[in-house]
Amino acid sequence: MELFDWSLLSSTIRMVTPILLAALGGALCARVGIFNVGLEGLVLVGAFSAIVGNHFTGNLFLAVLIAALVSIVFSLLFAYMTIRLRANEIVIGVAINFLALGLTTFALRAIFGVKGAFYDKDMAGLPTVEIPFIHDIPVIGGIISGHSPLVYFAFLVAILLYVFFYRTVTGFRVLAVGLNPVAARSLGLKVTGLQVLAIVMSGALCGIAGAQLSLGQVTMFTEGMTAGRGFIALVAMMMGQSHPLGILASSLLFGLMDALSIRLQGFSLPTQFTAMLPYVLTIAAMFFLKNKSQIGSDNQQSTR
Amino acid sequence: MAAIKELSKSLVQPFLAVVIGLLTGALVIAAVGESILGTYQEMWKGAFGSFYFFTSTLARATPIMLIALGLSLAFRAGVFNLGAEGQMVLGAVSAALVAIYLPAPGMIKIVAGIFAGMAVGGFWALLPGFMEARFRIPLLISTLLFNYIAVLFASYLVTEPFRDRSGSAALAQTVMLEKSAWLPKLFAGMSVHAGFLFAIVAALLLFWVLRFTPFGYEVKMLGQNSLFAQYGGINRIRVMLTGMFASGGLAGLAGTVEVMGAHYRFVDGALTVPGFAWTGLMAALLANSHPLGIIVTSILLAAFQTGAMGVERNTDVPLELASVIQAVLILFISAKFSYDWWKKRKAKGGESHGAL
Repeated sequence: MELFDWSLLSSTIRMVTPILLAALGGALCARVGIFNVGLEGLVLVGAFSAIVGNHFTGNLFLAVLIAALVSIVFSLLFAYMTIRLRANEIVIGVAINFLALGLTTFALRAIFGVKGAFYDKDMAGLPTVEIPFIHDIPVIGGIISGHSPLVYFAFLVAILLYVFFYRTVTGFRVLAVGLNPVAARSLGLKVTGLQVLAIVMSGALCGIAGAQLSLGQVTMFTEGMTAGRGFIALVAMMMGQSHPLGILASSLLFGLMDALSIRLQGFSLPTQFTAMLPYVLTIAAMFFLKNKSQIGSDNQQSTR
Repeated sequence: MAAIKELSKSLVQPFLAVVIGLLTGALVIAAVGESILGTYQEMWKGAFGSFYFFTSTLARATPIMLIALGLSLAFRAGVFNLGAEGQMVLGAVSAALVAIYLPAPGMIKIVAGIFAGMAVGGFWALLPGFMEARFRIPLLISTLLFNYIAVLFASYLVTEPFRDRSGSAALAQTVMLEKSAWLPKLFAGMSVHAGFLFAIVAALLLFWVLRFTPFGYEVKMLGQNSLFAQYGGINRIRVMLTGMFASGGLAGLAGTVEVMGAHYRFVDGALTVPGFAWTGLMAALLANSHPLGIIVTSILLAAFQTGAMGVERNTDVPLELASVIQAVLILFISAKFSYDWWKKRKAKGGESHGAL
């Protein structure tokens, strides 16, 4: 086995999908001035609901839809607590993570009567898409073609979100809310409504990220299967400066490091430093890009 | 008298929250088709049922309490330190290495280990504080990022250079501390160790510092109205950095006492998997950052966890019962808590960045 080869890129693309989707969701929240630490929980809920949906409907499209819907419900709880009740978003995010972990475990017991993990060998996972023509190109075909539809969806969302932010009126308004909520409000923008919209969209993206995790990569659910990916998504979001294309790049870096770590284990080399690299780079990036940073900037709190 | 009044006032809402948390717990227990009363009985037994279980609860509360105390100091100064996990783990691994490799008698090893653990945790917290002060890099984000670096670095230390290669080396861990460097247990055969006393002393000390010293006054002023505090001549950066150092030092101490009093070695993941840092955050929030309240709330949260372990041992209800109850508790309590806190923030205007 080589350390670097083309299949490494292929597995990078697969690994990156849940992180990318969740990070884009986080960016939506960040752009309206809300730091969403609950991504981890939202993805976990999505992963579980996707399996439940698939089990009861047998329809993969419905399963993904259910995952998105259930995560939206959770994100509405987040929105209600943070915007309406003005609770601290970090505290609520942490609570959402705990709640998601607890409730999925209980629901696993209540619905499937199992402990730890649910696996059904008859359950179909997401199909892989063989893109015509591209599939036949020697090297590139192997990298780009043959992933689950959600993988392509994730990359599409990154581009769509870019268009949304910088080419549509609603997108501009969302950015305005994040940049200066007081000014946005005085211009007559519905700040609260836009914030809720962003949180709901973020919930949907996290739910789909979860569906890719439980139906795309493996076809099973295990307790706490997100294993910190939500937090990694949060970091990818910071590194990408909440810019959709920046996030695309940073998520790919995280995915590559993830794939590389697995590869390195095969060589019995220490994996900690490759795993550490994205975080170090993120901190380094903050020295240079700090002025553009959306999160934690002064204005974000001044509306509510 | 005023102190007692303040303490009881800060405990009323947590009490209500606990009741609501338990009711929600009852709902999910019913959902998995178990007896609610029976389950809560098991939970009580698992947490306080016998002297042994009671001391286990206290042992579990020890790191939670220390972390919560550290965080509360930061919160009081209006700084959101999310880096307790990294500070704890780096403190723990430094304490373990010092206690193992320092050629000295046991007593000195203990003292040096504790000193090293606190110092490393403190300096690791100081670094993001410095980055905020000097480069205006939001503390909230940098502390979160520093966690990963700290945890991964500690993990590297015990998988490569300092790994225990004797015996069954399946786990990434250091060799065991020699017996003379163990923190004594408070009762023979029970799991609660001297670290619990450190935590209690730290709580009393913090209470005293916040209430009766000039530094405590500065912290309070800064947390309530930073502009006014600065106008009054309080050096915001100095207080923030001191607060971060103490906060990190207490988190480091939490890791240190776990290593020297419970595991007797640094085991990769042993401190991160139980989620001490997040539970500590919850304990600090539940007690509204009141040091004496934290003694109560951290024992309470620890009791939920050890109780849930008892539940899992004896019934079909999963351990995560504790997560559900804790989460509901926090959701319920944070609405008001943050509202108060928010009003203070708002009054303060947008001066400091990471101090979210």
